Amino acid sequence: MHMTRRTFLGYAVGAVTTGLRGLPGTRVDMPRPVVVLHLSQHACESVAGYTGTLAKSGTRFLHVEPALVPRCSVLIVPAAIHIGPALRAIVTCLADGATVILESGAAFADEADFRAHRAELRDCLQVHVDAPVRLWTASSGRQRLPYVDYTWPHSAKIRDFSRALPLARQPGEIIARVNGLPVCLKRRVGRGTLIFLGSPLGPALWAGDAEARQWLLVSLPLFRQ
Amino acid sequence: MKKSIGDNMIPKEFGFERGLELVKKAGFDGIELWLGDVPWFQMATSDTEVRELRRKIENAGLVVSNVSTGLHWESPLSARDPKVRTQAVRIVERQIETAVLLGTDAILVVAGLVTEEVPYNEVYQRCVETLRPLGEKAGRAGVRIGCENCNAEHRFLISPREFWQFLNDVNSNAVGIHLDVGNIHDTGFAEQWIEIHGPRITRIHLKDVMKKRGRCGDQSVYTNLFLGDNNWPAIRAAMTKVGYDGWLIAEMEARYRYARDQQFYDTAQAMDRLISGRL
Repeated sequence: MHMTRRTFLGYAVGAVTTGLRGLPGTRVDMPRPVVVLHLSQHACESVAGYTGTLAKSGTRFLHVEPALVPRCSVLIVPAAIHIGPALRAIVTCLADGATVILESGAAFADEADFRAHRAELRDCLQVHVDAPVRLWTASSGRQRLPYVDYTWPHSAKIRDFSRALPLARQPGEIIARVNGLPVCLKRRVGRGTLIFLGSPLGPALWAGDAEARQWLLVSLPLFRQ
Repeated sequence: MKKSIGDNMIPKEFGFERGLELVKKAGFDGIELWLGDVPWFQMATSDTEVRELRRKIENAGLVVSNVSTGLHWESPLSARDPKVRTQAVRIVERQIETAVLLGTDAILVVAGLVTEEVPYNEVYQRCVETLRPLGEKAGRAGVRIGCENCNAEHRFLISPREFWQFLNDVNSNAVGIHLDVGNIHDTGFAEQWIEIHGPRITRIHLKDVMKKRGRCGDQSVYTNLFLGDNNWPAIRAAMTKVGYDGWLIAEMEARYRYARDQQFYDTAQAMDRLISGRL
């Protein structure tokens, strides 16, 4: 094989530099992982949606209990109803510059659980939601548009999950609507970004919705910047 | 093969005990109990009361062929609402429990319900994941879950190969197919379903179907044996081919308007002809 002196030196320098990255005293910039939180048993379907999608795409992620959340680039909290156990992790991650995707699981919760969920969102994260809306009943009599229209970070139409939590007027950018109702929000919090999903994405991922999968996978690198 | 008929066929004015007499007198060997569809067998019926039902059935000279239910039309395993799914699972569990109490080894489950609101992929995935643990539970109890092919009615698992794949995905020896030869309508041929599913068939529901009618108001698309479009010689031959020797259960949707007990006698005789192959 013919190799010029310049090519040889190029390879040699590359090899040495690569080797140095693991040596003591040198800084290794490993990307922080994506973390999927397991909050409760009822979140299984949604958790399976996120973890299955991340696994298939080859994304490095951890699936952990709230007490074991490490420093991460993205924290996903699927189908959350009682946020309390995850609150410390959410706040820490936001302060640390991470993106937190907080997916509400309260659309099917009973009245008492929903009230507690709404109070926790309001008091701890300043996210204001209205009572769950049955989208199929709400749209009956009109042409049915059973999709959540995402406008950020790119447009996507994702099948709704029958019920959603509409968002009240509040600071932040509305990133998705269903039948005109704002259901997803993006807001800077400290050094991080909070993304609140009032219409769950996890079950759509779990059921193999291609656009849901694309939305998540295209969005992740943006969240990790 | 043995003949059975659903207790939901018993005319209301008969009541359970007189209904059992009719079933026996008409020539049936067993009875299919419909959880939630008849006043004597509800979700709230206690174990003691279920044992009492068994005693009455055995005193009438019958046995229980299987436990069915129509409750999953209201509470499907595929519902999005977790509370509804929990109830749906509880219904299956109660079917398993009562099957053991009643001395039978099969239950019928309507596996999922595709609707405008809950799309196919979700229903499929949810049913597979729900049926796996239920299959384990049924297996431990010595009971087999037969998922009924409701085809057009639940808009799910329309073809026999699709149903086969579904059972592969559930991957449990305790979960098979409760094959209804009337439900296939225009979407195929019952004899082919029998050939494809063979040993996975837990029970067979019998009724005939007028394939070209479709549902038309109150008029049923289903009819009595030999009055419709099913190819009964082919169905009988397929049963022989796959070695099916289990229960045949009459499930008539259209009822006689007069002399309602006569339907039991006519159906039992038609089933005898089918079993004997004199077609």
